[in-house]
Amino acid sequence: MSTPHDPVVSPPVVSLRDVTLRFAGVTALRDVTFDVHPGELFAVIGPNGAGKTSIFNVLSGVYRPQEGEVTFAGTSILGKRPHRIAALGMARTFQNIELFTNLDVVDNLMLGRHHHLGYGWPSAVAWLGRARRQEILNRRRVEEIIDFLEIEAYRHLPVGMLPYGVQKRIELGRALAMEPTLLLLDEPVAGMNGEETEDMARFILEVKHELGLPMILVEHDMGLVMDLADRVMAMDFGTPLTTGTPAEVQAHPEVIRAYLGAGDEIVVGEDAR
Amino acid sequence: MTEPSTSLAALVRDRARATPDRIAMREKNLGLWEAVTWGEYWERATLVGHALLALGVQPGDRVAVHSENRREWLYSDIGITAVRAATVGLYPTNPAPEVLHVLRDSGATVLIAEDQEQVDKALEVADQLPQLRHVVHLEHRGIRGRYTDERLLEWDAFLDLGREHAAANPGAVDRTADAAEPDDLATLVYTSGTTGPPKGAMLSQANIAFVCDVLRGADAFIDPPPNEKDLIVSYLPLCHVAERVFTTWFNAAAGTQVNFAESIDTVQQNLREIQPTIVFGVPRIWEKIVAGVHIRMSGASRLKRANFALWMRVSRWIGRTLVARQGRHTVATRLAYAAGWVACYRPLRERIGLSKVRYAASGAAPIAPEVLEFFMGIGLPMFEVYGMTENSAVATTNRPGRVKLGTVGEPQPGTEIRVDEQTGEILTRHAGTFAGYWNNPEATSRTIDADGWLHTGDVGEWVDGTHLRITDRIKDIIITAGGKNISPSEIENSLKASPYVKEAIVVGDRRKFLTALIGIELDTVGDWAQKRRIPFTTYRDLSTKPEVLELVRGVIATTNEKFASVETIKDFRMLPKELDHDAGELTATQKVKRSVITDTFSAEIESMYAGSER
Repeated sequence: MSTPHDPVVSPPVVSLRDVTLRFAGVTALRDVTFDVHPGELFAVIGPNGAGKTSIFNVLSGVYRPQEGEVTFAGTSILGKRPHRIAALGMARTFQNIELFTNLDVVDNLMLGRHHHLGYGWPSAVAWLGRARRQEILNRRRVEEIIDFLEIEAYRHLPVGMLPYGVQKRIELGRALAMEPTLLLLDEPVAGMNGEETEDMARFILEVKHELGLPMILVEHDMGLVMDLADRVMAMDFGTPLTTGTPAEVQAHPEVIRAYLGAGDEIVVGEDAR
Repeated sequence: MTEPSTSLAALVRDRARATPDRIAMREKNLGLWEAVTWGEYWERATLVGHALLALGVQPGDRVAVHSENRREWLYSDIGITAVRAATVGLYPTNPAPEVLHVLRDSGATVLIAEDQEQVDKALEVADQLPQLRHVVHLEHRGIRGRYTDERLLEWDAFLDLGREHAAANPGAVDRTADAAEPDDLATLVYTSGTTGPPKGAMLSQANIAFVCDVLRGADAFIDPPPNEKDLIVSYLPLCHVAERVFTTWFNAAAGTQVNFAESIDTVQQNLREIQPTIVFGVPRIWEKIVAGVHIRMSGASRLKRANFALWMRVSRWIGRTLVARQGRHTVATRLAYAAGWVACYRPLRERIGLSKVRYAASGAAPIAPEVLEFFMGIGLPMFEVYGMTENSAVATTNRPGRVKLGTVGEPQPGTEIRVDEQTGEILTRHAGTFAGYWNNPEATSRTIDADGWLHTGDVGEWVDGTHLRITDRIKDIIITAGGKNISPSEIENSLKASPYVKEAIVVGDRRKFLTALIGIELDTVGDWAQKRRIPFTTYRDLSTKPEVLELVRGVIATTNEKFASVETIKDFRMLPKELDHDAGELTATQKVKRSVITDTFSAEIESMYAGSER
């Protein structure tokens, strides 16, 4: 599997340069540098505490790194508030599902359309003209996502009642509803059974192929990462060990050591599955 | 009263000309029901016809359709027959080896496949299908820009071909359709085949015309006969003859409006939204609805449960009275029903999407009387019907006011039925008898005799000289070591009438006594176990819980009470897994393949007879 776009011609969607993040003496990220190119599925792997989620929090503006530079959509996003960054076109899913459990699927997805509502409350109250047109348009977008993710059967059920794997899918749907230009997936298959994992892998691939959306994937399931990602960055203790194709990273001695401890001879990909 | 039917395509064309703006079908798309008028239906079908002509399809060629039920299935079916080719349907669940068998056996030159899943199956075996020239796909997701096989053609491009061809050859499809002969092969219906590979049953235009005439005739199964006001939800596989009758042929012949379910998972919701007036279901569907009602009620409030229990008792009494009176009400049952209508039956029927049903049919397999009684009791006019692919699904039906429970009813108009004195086999004869099996004259000659009688392979008997009762498939009859003939399916159906039992396979051929393999209904038993705080992980784990074994033992004891002592189940084993079409244990229509089951689970079976026969 190769990157569909030539990195030399098309500028990266997002790039981190020498990003260092510290919390009161603990260094969560040290000199992290990588680019994600259009249409690319970029994965970040590493043991617990390696700093994977910190990268997401830096990207989405929750943490501000002490050193380095982060550019997204052509501008520096350092110091920007999370909702401003989201408005620039970055969407994410969470490790622990963050949905409104008492709302139904459609309403949760409609919330993802929030940035695309171009009308104020007076227009909404009057329910005329623009508000009405936009609501219908947004509802249609939501239906397209329902169709894309095959969740027709759950349309009007409260999200809290749905199986875990379906909730994860709906969270992906909410991120897609934002029509992002970059998607961050934080452990999309954590806690899923085999069948749910397969479904999710299929949807991630379809997002890549059908929507051409660049993604950054943080994941523990090594099999999934190695199957899906175009490039992988392996981390340990906040420091990048290596970046390359799945095969290269899998064969890297430091990666094997970080995951399995020195001297262990089991192949990473098979063991983690 | 009705003129004899012409070809299927001509029926659609006539409707398109007479009522171009009436709704022929609807499909839920992006959350909205979108209507297709008769004018649009015929226009699309004509485009398909032109496109097929452009691809070089000749009269007599076979064109396969591999898709869930949707508008394009009907456009294709009518378009194919309009150019005098034959439609070959495949089950969406058919795995690649079965796809290979059907495509190779039928010699289809064009395949219309729904999506990437079905295209993948065809391409996997395509190197063994030299005659397959084109694979048209309805959806491009996952295929466009990624697949390079030269046989692939997108639906829109396919229709564009049709437009070009129509512009260059105006009226070509109409002319071909007008030249149709009654003996034209209209479709190959592959029988699901509980033994051996599926065989292609040839149905002609004349067969279909016969079915259409029976259905809309004055002596049809309902009064008034199916018409433009009737709504149908299409959800069972269209390659099966029964759904073809209820969806495509009813629609063309009587103008009933077809509504396509959004997906298999949403059938219940779609039934609620549409509230159809005519419904066809296989026993499995009806059993599942009953089980669903029971699950829902077991989780309801105490008051609701009490209300439900009361009206279920009343409905059982109504059901029994109706059954005893062949479906006719007494004053008392009418009054009781009126009260129950307000308190329970109306909301219940609305909930399951069957509040407006004026005719519900169960067929394709025997149904347990308890299930029929449930539906009759809540006021749903449900009738058991009988037919098979080889007689175009027309043989017998129960009729309003003349119901005999446990029978499949009286012969349809124009149908001769005989029960062979020696073998007890049911024989049928009418204009709907199929033309034979495709490329299989030996099987044909075994099935149709010199006098035109179709040998159904079912054993049956007359009840009161008017109604036909089916005992079993001939080959399924168990002959015990003591020489007793036993029909396993009656016992199995009684077991399956329990909401906890999904599969029951009775074993005992050439054995001293009967035993059974039982598969639980995961939803209901799972719910039951949760309420009793019995922890479980998987199907297999749940199946082996002592409490569950006890539950199943109870079901078997109840069934045993209904049967003679030689017909009682002496022992049972649980199926360690859910039966699966992919594993070859079920046919595409979810019928159990006995020989496969008895092989796969021979260890379980032998363990029940260990010691007794040595």
